[in-house]
Amino acid sequence: MAHTMRFAVGVMLMLTSLFAVADSAIVVRDAWVREAPPGAPVLAAYFTLENPGSNADKLVAILCPDFNKIEIHATEIRTGVARMVALDALPVPPHAAVKLAPGGHHLMLHNPRRALAAGMNVKLELRFDSGARLNVLAPVRRAESGAVHHH
Amino acid sequence: MTRKALISVSLVAALGIILVLGYLAGRTFRDPARAISVAGMTVLEPASPLPEFRLHDQNNQVFDLGRLQGKWSFVFFGYTHCPDICPTTLVVLRDAQKIAGGKEQGIQYIFVSVDPDRDNAATLKNYLPYFHPEFIGATGGQGELMRLTRALGAYYESGEARSGNYEVHHSAAIFLIDPDARLRALFAGPHDAARLAQGLQRLKGD
Repeated sequence: MAHTMRFAVGVMLMLTSLFAVADSAIVVRDAWVREAPPGAPVLAAYFTLENPGSNADKLVAILCPDFNKIEIHATEIRTGVARMVALDALPVPPHAAVKLAPGGHHLMLHNPRRALAAGMNVKLELRFDSGARLNVLAPVRRAESGAVHHH
Repeated sequence: MTRKALISVSLVAALGIILVLGYLAGRTFRDPARAISVAGMTVLEPASPLPEFRLHDQNNQVFDLGRLQGKWSFVFFGYTHCPDICPTTLVVLRDAQKIAGGKEQGIQYIFVSVDPDRDNAATLKNYLPYFHPEFIGATGGQGELMRLTRALGAYYESGEARSGNYEVHHSAAIFLIDPDARLRALFAGPHDAARLAQGLQRLKGD
């Protein structure tokens, strides 16, 4: 009897974890796209990924019909020099939040296929290593303050 | 030792400590390098004169050493194909302009593109007014850019091309040039408009 119980609990736990993988607990908050200054062929998108779950995940791809290419970038300042580093994936550890913000991590959006001005919205599909997909509506905004968030 | 003597010795010792602390505090206050300390700002003492250089601004006018004379100038190096740090810094400079003032106060804000293969006068003229109509954009040949960047201790280098695009690595600092066209201070990132304005104010008050 105790054996059967333990087996049943084990199966339930396994199912729960499978369920968690298939339906990622990750939440996207405060997504926005920085309006490009005139003539600039690249834009940046920012948001916060929250992972309240206990499984690590990774943002591996971003799809959006408005751009030719989207990359995950980190702005790194090393010995006073700013460099943009393209990342293959952005890890989102369990019980953690990863913030993309001006001066730090951002999505680099290449060559917009339509003119994007403040007030418009961009639909992004975020794809995760776990197979989870999240659709995000990111408003295009003018950056009104120069506040730089570092992490 | 009597109780009375002990109290006297303690009082003398306390007085001594107060005098030493007072002296140190006074010295700190008079030390100009300390008096102008603003977080992230490095002041050059003495200021470092800049060599001749020849760039062009967004109106295709010559932008040389003479354009730095008689004004305070905030200088930032970047490029227009930069989606994050350059627009972020230009917004900080715009905010600093609101606090510290601009042309009328004898202060100018200069964005030097270190990507002359993609940025020219027309590109800069299109790009910069978005941040502020007074902002000056300048660029030029690699040799002339190097002459200026080297004198300021700034750095830039084009990264490898990946699918038709390349990044330009560049100094994140904002440089402050005094009205004698000398490098007077530099601000390390992350930048803050209030700190830029405060740093300039302290230096002007010297």
